[in-house]
Amino acid sequence: MSYLGIVLTSIFASNALLIYGFGSIPERERKGSTSLASALALACVNVIASAILWLIHSLVLAPLRLASLDILFFALIAVPIIKFIARVAQQSSIKQDSILFKLGERSDDLAVGSLVYGIALLSARSGYGLLEAVAASAAAGLGYWLSQFLLEAVRERLELSDLPTSFRGAPAMLLSAGLMALAFMGLDAALIKNLVGA
Amino acid sequence: MSYEKEGFVPNPILTGLVGICPLVVAAKSLAEGAAYGLGAAFCAFLLGLLIPPARAFLPVRLQAPASLALSAALALIYSFCLEMYSSALAAGLWIYLPLLAASGLSLVALRLSSSTSRSGPDGQSRLAVIALQSAWFLVTSACVGAARELLGLGTLTIPTPGPSLSRIAVADFAPLRILVTPAGGFILLGFLAALYRVTLRASGRKGL
Repeated sequence: MSYLGIVLTSIFASNALLIYGFGSIPERERKGSTSLASALALACVNVIASAILWLIHSLVLAPLRLASLDILFFALIAVPIIKFIARVAQQSSIKQDSILFKLGERSDDLAVGSLVYGIALLSARSGYGLLEAVAASAAAGLGYWLSQFLLEAVRERLELSDLPTSFRGAPAMLLSAGLMALAFMGLDAALIKNLVGA
Repeated sequence: MSYEKEGFVPNPILTGLVGICPLVVAAKSLAEGAAYGLGAAFCAFLLGLLIPPARAFLPVRLQAPASLALSAALALIYSFCLEMYSSALAAGLWIYLPLLAASGLSLVALRLSSSTSRSGPDGQSRLAVIALQSAWFLVTSACVGAARELLGLGTLTIPTPGPSLSRIAVADFAPLRILVTPAGGFILLGFLAALYRVTLRASGRKGL
């Protein structure tokens, strides 16, 4: 598949949140998860994590037939590297409201969680080359941010609507996520392949 | 919170949405729901059991990475055990088996067992909370898997050992085929969360 096809598939047809269920749906307490810094942090963390895991998986573990141990090596190698880069970004930014500081702060939160683990594992095990895996994981991060952004917009609208008490909050978000997942399922990989070419 | 004083631990999936998103995709059948729930409970409970003593002899700088490595190792051990028990079940859970290392329940167990707060529950109470949450997760995961399979395909898959799983045809029709998709999983869990909230309110537990 072309790079454009890989990117579109990772954003829509293989959306990290709505199709693969990585990460979590937006909560009221989580501030700034739909900001620009968050989108950049998601893309950066996923690129770093996927590149490290791809290298470990393809160059070390697969030749030794130890590919199933990739999650352990990810926790031992990739997570500390991401956390180190995140701290360096935070310390090297002059102001606390600068985008670099926010990027570092968000990357530190993201390093431990099913979102980054899931996207990195998926890229490493999908048979992509290094550049394809990196493109797919960056796009998957953006796809996750897009679905968070849309769900956050839905949540804001739902707060103003007259919902039954039992459906307010989490149940309404889950139902919204389900309906949005249905819409994303409409853009399947075969359709994208036909649209942008093989 | 009030429920901690009452000794009541609410369902972590239906109230806190803990580990809900991977569950939506992984628990497509009774067998997969039970296997995924058991894996999450296994990892969370052992993390709650092993981390407090490990923290006593590990330097502070190594505690967080060691906890993550332990979580990954537990997920791997469970993956290998499940692969030996039923390769079909392990294949069905695919990437979600190693992801047990970073499931919401494991992260809650990590946070609870690494907490140094003196105002919260003590070590034994924390382990009891983790155990109860794990049990809730296992039961909910198996029930969600069974409901999705029954309504979506009209069958029930039993987690039998061996290379293939035994599937029982319960109904000739599948009234809600959408439920086996991730979208259907989100929708079913939305209705279950609302139902759980109604049940809690009816039993007089407010504020959840």
